[in-house]
Amino acid sequence: MVKRNHKVFKLAMTQFSIRHPWLVMAGLLILTAVFLSQFPKVRFDNDPENMLSPKEYVRIFNDEVKAKYNLYDFVIVGIVNDKDPDGIFNPKTLGRIHALTHELLSLSRDANNRPVIVKRAQGDQKEERVTLDLAHKSLWEKILGIAFRHDPNELFDEEGNSAIIGREIISPSLVDNLKQADLGSLKLEYLMEHPPATREEARIIRDDAMGNPLYSGTLVSEDEKAICLYIPIIEKTFSYNVARLVSELTRDWHGDERIYITGLPVAEDTFGVEMMLQMAESAPLAGVIIFLLLFFFFRRISLIIAPMIVAVISVICTMGLLIWLGFEVHIMSSMIAIFLMPIAVADSVHVLSLFYDSYSKYNDRAETIKHVIGQLFMPMLYTSLTTIAGFASLGTTPIPPVKVFGLHVAFGVGLAWVLTLTLIPAYIMVAVPEKRLRALGPQSNRRQNPSGMLSSVLGRFGRLGYSAWKLILTMVVLIMGISVYGITKINVNDNPVKWFAADHEIRIADRVLNSHFGGTYTAYLTLSAPRPESCTCLDVAEAMDSEANKRFRKYLPEATDQFLGELELLKQLYCNVNSSNEKKCFVELVNRAALIDAEALESWNKLADAINYMETEGLTFDTLLDGIKEVPGIKEDDREILISRLQEYRGLTGERLLQQALDLCDEVLQLSFREFVFEIEAELTAPLFKQPEMLRYVEQLQTHLIENRVVGKTSSAVDALKKASYELLYVSPPSDATKEEKEAYDRRNKNNFNIPDSASAVGQVFIQLEGMKKKDSLFHMVTRDYQEASLWVQLKSGDNMDMEAVVKDAEDFLKTNPPPVDLKARWAGLTYLNIVWQNKMVRGMITSLGASFLVVLVMMTLLFRSPLYGILAMIPLSVTIAFIYGAIGLAGKDYDMPVAILSAMTLGLSVDFAIHFLQRARESQKELGDWKEVCREMFKEPAMAISRNAIIISLGFTPLLLAPLVPYKTVGFFLATIMAVSWLATLFILPAIMTALQKPLFRENMSKH
Amino acid sequence: MMKKLFLLVITGTMILQAAAVFGAERPSPDKIIEMANDASYYQGQDGRADVKMTITDKAGGVRIREFTILRKNTGQKDQKFYVYFKEPADVRKMAYLVWKHVGKEDSRWLWLPALNLKKRIAPGDKRTSFVGSDFFYEDVSGRGVNEDTHELLKSDDTWYLIKNVPKDPDSVEFVYYHVWINKTTFLPEKAEYYDKNGNLYRRVEAKKIMKIQGYPTVVESIASDLVAGTRTINRFDNVRYDIGLKDRIFTERFLRRPPREVTQ
Repeated sequence: MVKRNHKVFKLAMTQFSIRHPWLVMAGLLILTAVFLSQFPKVRFDNDPENMLSPKEYVRIFNDEVKAKYNLYDFVIVGIVNDKDPDGIFNPKTLGRIHALTHELLSLSRDANNRPVIVKRAQGDQKEERVTLDLAHKSLWEKILGIAFRHDPNELFDEEGNSAIIGREIISPSLVDNLKQADLGSLKLEYLMEHPPATREEARIIRDDAMGNPLYSGTLVSEDEKAICLYIPIIEKTFSYNVARLVSELTRDWHGDERIYITGLPVAEDTFGVEMMLQMAESAPLAGVIIFLLLFFFFRRISLIIAPMIVAVISVICTMGLLIWLGFEVHIMSSMIAIFLMPIAVADSVHVLSLFYDSYSKYNDRAETIKHVIGQLFMPMLYTSLTTIAGFASLGTTPIPPVKVFGLHVAFGVGLAWVLTLTLIPAYIMVAVPEKRLRALGPQSNRRQNPSGMLSSVLGRFGRLGYSAWKLILTMVVLIMGISVYGITKINVNDNPVKWFAADHEIRIADRVLNSHFGGTYTAYLTLSAPRPESCTCLDVAEAMDSEANKRFRKYLPEATDQFLGELELLKQLYCNVNSSNEKKCFVELVNRAALIDAEALESWNKLADAINYMETEGLTFDTLLDGIKEVPGIKEDDREILISRLQEYRGLTGERLLQQALDLCDEVLQLSFREFVFEIEAELTAPLFKQPEMLRYVEQLQTHLIENRVVGKTSSAVDALKKASYELLYVSPPSDATKEEKEAYDRRNKNNFNIPDSASAVGQVFIQLEGMKKKDSLFHMVTRDYQEASLWVQLKSGDNMDMEAVVKDAEDFLKTNPPPVDLKARWAGLTYLNIVWQNKMVRGMITSLGASFLVVLVMMTLLFRSPLYGILAMIPLSVTIAFIYGAIGLAGKDYDMPVAILSAMTLGLSVDFAIHFLQRARESQKELGDWKEVCREMFKEPAMAISRNAIIISLGFTPLLLAPLVPYKTVGFFLATIMAVSWLATLFILPAIMTALQKPLFRENMSKH
Repeated sequence: MMKKLFLLVITGTMILQAAAVFGAERPSPDKIIEMANDASYYQGQDGRADVKMTITDKAGGVRIREFTILRKNTGQKDQKFYVYFKEPADVRKMAYLVWKHVGKEDSRWLWLPALNLKKRIAPGDKRTSFVGSDFFYEDVSGRGVNEDTHELLKSDDTWYLIKNVPKDPDSVEFVYYHVWINKTTFLPEKAEYYDKNGNLYRRVEAKKIMKIQGYPTVVESIASDLVAGTRTINRFDNVRYDIGLKDRIFTERFLRRPPREVTQ
């Protein structure tokens, strides 16, 4: 009774379909249409950043850093000229770069949303506005563009503003240049104000660029053969179109220049665009291959149409659901179709296969179907459930696109199972007339030819598994040992640029530019102090105390005591636990210091002031003396001291004499307590990144980072500071200087390429940089309050392992070289984000692999109602996974995103073979009772079915191998390999183990017989 | 010329005279601009002001600069400026000296006390940021009236609206700008700058005008960079005209030892 109910339940769906085939067909058609209607709403997301949830701390921080330092994602345009003797620095190339820069700046759109650029007047050519059309030329690409709603002319935000942030473009025509000019003056201009007219002018630009640490290795290559333009864009999603725009604008550059466009955003965006092509081309191709394979096995079009319909409906509904739920199609989900198709057909292949085999027995469609479904219900349920478990386990990863992918494929597999139980019967009832079936006759020789070779190979396998079980198991143990060793060698690494094939133009650009420049991969190391206000009132007082003793004690002992007394008083008044009022303390101190000064310095101040205002023209020693004698209200002693000291300058006149008199006054006036208070206060309360000690630490950190071979260049506010300080303090030797004198000048000047000694000096140089032509460019490297700084780190490689090594380097440095104040170092930038999601993925995949392993194990135990069988079912796939990952480790192939996601889902796929094998073996054992006999039987029909499925699934994924994008290739290759290996593992290992464990496995059956 | 600015000097009587002269017929745009220039930059023989500059970035962060500025008219339209910084603490005593020569390049010097450095700044682009603010050097010292062509777009009871197009478009970042000049005071109260694509990207406004010693004077002005989202407010205190500044204050010597006019 129980058993019958069970059977009724199993057949419920199928029976309904047999009774109402048209209803089922119509219902499924409507369902499919509903899901299909969601397709136009599709949105794409090709941003690997979305591998991390938008709520992820590191992403939020990255956005904060971008906002704080006004950083944008760049399209990097490299222009190389290694033919010209002056490299890139020749008038023609520089002229082109200048023109290109201004064309990019002028980008606007016309009434039809087409991009318009202004070509500047050149020679006799007048300025002209040019409307561009970047649309794809080929019809196929145009159709895809419409289907995927990608418009190459889309270069503007909603308000019609250019996607290019013009004011932030880094180009020789738009970056600041501080340089020496006539009369020892300092000139502030752009590096290339105008395109050079002569080779000499071009070389001046070269020398200026090379002399600036912020530009050499970044903007211009150190070998002088290349220039990189960094084009900031408002959104990463514009980068592909901006890259196309640049290609269009440089299309007529016939000459020695070569153009390379790269940068992570371009790579990522291009990947997205090619991904669409991939989806449009390889998913249908996979369909065709599966169709051909089915035809090869079954040779009946009417028969194989059914599984194809199951596959197509599963794919449409799954993608429809994904779009319906508001998810964007990401790199991961773009692979759904390709995954689903081979899996979806698997069950129906079993059903149809058995249907045709059994038809002659019943000679009735409905009865045959019931028989078939009754037979296959449990294995299909379990193989589907395990596959679902494998994919659904991806739902446990912390990576949103992987989650979405896993759960949707799981849905699709479930749907395919339902379709197999409903659509296939309905299809047979509707489309396959009894007449035709009867005409087929018994199936016996139908598959003989194509499968003849296969079956003889399988027969040999079977004998081996039985007779050579010891050898097989020894080899398995050996292989496992090697695999485990291989797994320990696994290199976790990824690089979105390497998602392109090695000959892709992005890979080429990547190679070329990274060989010329400091690196096209960007990361930012931000430095901040957790407690910026660390300098307390007491600290200041203490510093003043010791410094005052040093500076004044010797000359003004009494005044020093007086000052220290006031300081102590104020300290007790304002710097205690109850009331700390630093500001007031400071103001009071200034006032009291001024009073002390008044005593000692007032006369000198008046003298200096009087001298300062004197007329220099016609000034002689005598007139100066007259002037000094007329100064009212001063101490006569001081006046006498000044006059006596002036005696030795009797010979001077005019400006020089006056300067000398002022210098004498200043010697005394520098002993001002008031100025001293201002000075110390300014030093001690200066923000972190104006303090020389901190800046020198940053300099050391940079020196350390550059030692890592992948770090090509680091840039910081310190570099800008050193350069500006050098130019400000530069003194050119007089034209008649001797060689030695010139060298001395040179040494002194070079010495100024340094961090100034005081916070005030730093502040005064920085404020010059704040007022540069390219406004606020300093604030890409330091915050406006100078409390936080960001180092721009350029890497030559975007490999995550390289980025990780750099992160570790920085960490080690901070640990072994404690910074002057407690410092928090945090990373941002796309290259860094990639390692964060990679690490999450590796960890996530281990969790999901573990989770799906457990789930499948429990399912197997339940299915076979035996823990021993459960474990046995897990062995072939465990060996397979270990073997594959061991091989990856040994072959040195990086464990990257596609490799990682494969682990969990293959588990669910490859266990199917074991399920079928064990289920059939167990049943045969019941029937035959002799394991050797069972073994022989197993390698006939059952092994055949398993093999057919393995071949369909493996080959179904092979269209991926034709993809131009590496992750698809990897997935295709590994899935095919995994299927093949787990097929072999099932057919070899299971019989071998079962031979070894006959007793415990078949105890029940044996005792029965 | 236009843009607001500190040191304004024009006598009330001059304005009255101007009104009388031009009352009957409308003055030419060139003349209006010239008068606006005078009203903005040339009142009195000399003048002084304490300036508090507040630079606000897009995120709302604020930087403050305080300085005192001295101005003296020398010769025809030539002028000299002395700018002495008091805040922030690290740039205290930093000073700029500018000799403005109409029709020629200006001369500029810089004094950095902490580096004990006096440096001459070569003539260059005057439309670059003044100490990191949204004001340009040219806003501080005035733009030559002959550098643009002027067209009167509109005139109502209160304003002359004049469009200014640079004679040398390559020398400036704008394609044209509009300026609204008050008919009574002749002070330019708003200027708006447009780029190649006809977009407004910069605005300078006189927010508060007071009569000081009889001269209508801008005491609060604001410059906005509409693209970068930053703005700078200048507040002018202790404005005084005709204080008898000596020419020699505006020499390199006074960079190192500042004149009492700025320290007291």
